[in-house]
Amino acid sequence: MNAPVTLPKPPGAANKLKSTRMAGKLVNDYWEMVWRAKEEGKLVCWYEGSSINPFLEAADIVWVHGEAYSAMLAARHQEGPAQAAAEERGYLRELCSYARTHLGCAVNNQRHRNGSDSAFADVPADEDISAKLPPPDMIISAYAYCSTGQQWDEMTSRLFGKKIPIFNVSIPWIWASGKDAGYCRGQEWEETSRYVARQLEEMVKFIEEQTGKPYPWDRLRELMGNVKKASELRLEAMDMCRAKPAPATLFDWSVSIAPINQLPCTTDIVDYFTNVRNEVAERVRTGEAAVPKEKYRLFFDGIMNWNKLGWLAEKFARYDAAVVAGRYTHMAFWQEPDLIDPNNPVMGMGQNYLICPNNHSSPILIDLIMGLCEKYEVDGIVFHATRTCRAFTNPMFMIAQEATSRLGIQTTMFEGDVADETFYKDELLNTRVEAMLEAIDQKRLSAF
Amino acid sequence: MTPRSEIFEVLAKVCADPMGYARAWKTRTGRRVIGSFPMNFPSEMAHAAGALPLIIQEAEDPITAGHGLLFPFYCGFTRSAVDQAAKGDLAVLDAIMFGDHCVQLLGAADAVRVALPDTRVIFFQLISSMCDPWTLGRSKESFEKLRFELEDFIGEPVRDDAMRASIALFNRGRQAMRELYRMRVEGRVALTAREMQYVVKSSMVMDRAEHLELVEALVASASENLPQPEKRAVRLHLSGHFCQAPKPELLDMIEGCGAIVVGDDLYHGYRYISTDVGEEGNPMDSLARWYLDRNTGVPCPTRVQNDVDWDAFLLDAMRKESAEGMIVLMAKFCEPHMYYYPEVKEAFEKAGMPHLLIETEHESMALEHMRTRVESFLELIKRRRGVARANTPEGEVA
Ligand code: SF4
Ligand code: SF4
Repeated sequence: MNAPVTLPKPPGAANKLKSTRMAGKLVNDYWEMVWRAKEEGKLVCWYEGSSINPFLEAADIVWVHGEAYSAMLAARHQEGPAQAAAEERGYLRELCSYARTHLGCAVNNQRHRNGSDSAFADVPADEDISAKLPPPDMIISAYAYCSTGQQWDEMTSRLFGKKIPIFNVSIPWIWASGKDAGYCRGQEWEETSRYVARQLEEMVKFIEEQTGKPYPWDRLRELMGNVKKASELRLEAMDMCRAKPAPATLFDWSVSIAPINQLPCTTDIVDYFTNVRNEVAERVRTGEAAVPKEKYRLFFDGIMNWNKLGWLAEKFARYDAAVVAGRYTHMAFWQEPDLIDPNNPVMGMGQNYLICPNNHSSPILIDLIMGLCEKYEVDGIVFHATRTCRAFTNPMFMIAQEATSRLGIQTTMFEGDVADETFYKDELLNTRVEAMLEAIDQKRLSAF
Repeated sequence: MTPRSEIFEVLAKVCADPMGYARAWKTRTGRRVIGSFPMNFPSEMAHAAGALPLIIQEAEDPITAGHGLLFPFYCGFTRSAVDQAAKGDLAVLDAIMFGDHCVQLLGAADAVRVALPDTRVIFFQLISSMCDPWTLGRSKESFEKLRFELEDFIGEPVRDDAMRASIALFNRGRQAMRELYRMRVEGRVALTAREMQYVVKSSMVMDRAEHLELVEALVASASENLPQPEKRAVRLHLSGHFCQAPKPELLDMIEGCGAIVVGDDLYHGYRYISTDVGEEGNPMDSLARWYLDRNTGVPCPTRVQNDVDWDAFLLDAMRKESAEGMIVLMAKFCEPHMYYYPEVKEAFEKAGMPHLLIETEHESMALEHMRTRVESFLELIKRRRGVARANTPEGEVA
């Protein structure tokens, strides 16, 4: 007989890190700064994908990361007006919902500002923050792997009548076909790194053209020093989650994406991750668990479902399941600080853009994921099949097969999305996760 | 001269079973077959290496084995390619080469590589940002890398003169097919949309010299069966459908409603044959130039190029074709197309040019429902005839 899966517990089961609460304030401050940009006479750059923000921040340009804005709207359940505006313009529902939401912001933005065009003149509702986004003065496209990212930028430029200068950085996929190919090594890696670095140097010239000033390299070096430190602290803290019970979960690391990915690269982010690292260390010392009765350890493969973040954290905690690592949180965002030389940062920045996890073809990607599953001693993998983000769903079946054949662990999949909750099927998640946990129980029993 | 009906019989057979054709060719010649994914790998390269270059096609059969490798919310082409690999239908291919990086294609390529561990899959990403100062140079580098890997695979160099000869042969093929397009617009040949698809699609599969002979025979025989165009038939342009050919039944249905297709920018149509490669000089330079020229000639939503507009191209092409309306065929889940569609929609609404969007799927097609929409669309166009073009935009209907 199957051992019964622990019944869901009442709300409040997840013991979230306290230190991550600071992220909320930092994120709010950042968006306030973005919303004030035009009043303060700042140039604004829209970009998606790779964290090129330090390049912009150094040049005193306000940066808007498209995914971050869409994720923020979704997390606040305010994505509706932007998605409706996008739909009205003809963007179909199967299109990347991050892109759709952000393009909807651009449509709304045009409407509210373009008072002379009666079809587009409209007054935003007070609560409609999709329209608060300042329009771009420039667009930089530097998207690893996903063609959708580059097309999204192009369409943004077209939405603004192609009047906004756009710069494209091409970041090729690491196909890993050569005999010497591997993670951060081999001829393909070296060649691609140089190619991306060359384009980033050109991008800096583009930035100089926009600001009309020489590029402040010293400032970039200083910012990258902070990024490197913050990244090291983040990875150190993540590493400590090998402890049983785990002191923090994927949901804590999801909350910590903004500080590493798009907040100002000041010493604030170093302080943030110092606090996180210290709290995690303290939890390890005292044995305090992120999921009080940790019974299962899981890996989460897929991009986060932002309108369901807190809800998912609770759901898994109620199953006594600690989601200890994931592809999105543990394999991206300045993931290789050792590659960053703050004194000469361009090459290492480009290489960090190249190692966005999706940018590795399956042989490398699967090895990395299997390595994480072993490192964190997980019992199973939950796949979030993000309907409109094929970059994440592309390798899922192959990962699942390898997890079963190589590691002998359980896997399950549920359908959802990054920013469109209509794709989400709650019942399916419940039954699938419960079935997986039962299978884990059964395997444990039969091991005795 | 081979009668027209026999020519179409040959072409239709190739289109229905590309892998069957490839197997027979391989048995006959004892040479390699090199597959490629759409839409920008230059087949000339594999041809110059003595192989049969074959662009992998969406198959008709329902997805079965592929279900375990790719989700259902992918375009029909990628799902079918993976399914064919998983079923062993791509076994005839000695290698697969490609350079495009639509995100769904990358997923499919990765899965195909896993499903076919003994088949060499060669990839080098072509730059898709088309108007950067380094686009031309990088394109050349990419083609050189692809050629290098091809040479490594076949174990000998691909000579420049062989490349030039292949380029010349392919150019003749494209020119002959473009001549058919010209003749169709001018009413000098009667070709249904299904027949035009047979002509172009088979060229992606067949031995090019053999194909050229058949197409040249079609051109030569055209005047023998000049049609009497149905006076009230609506002249249509078909747009979209990138990596996969629209189902012939769909094309028949559209024309059966009282339309004649006079032009298209389908990949299995004019997009594929639009541009020739320079025959002089370094062939790698010529291929790089071709890659750029192609996107200026017939802009493709899978590339980004701020200084050309697909919507403007379409309106201009339709003016030249005297087309009265456009049917957009969109393969469901095709992201590049979904991105660009609002631009087209807006431009067509502004220009007062009617268009109709039809989404197609691999498995099911509600042909009857589509027929009703096409009929109303054609009715609308007919009503506009003779009426001075109103200032009010009409845009998409139904
Ligand atoms: S599909 Fe996914 S990876 Fe691609 S742009 Fe959208 S969110 Fe990014
Ligand atoms: S361009 Fe469209 S049809 Fe081609 S692989 Fe991508 S999604 Fe599929």
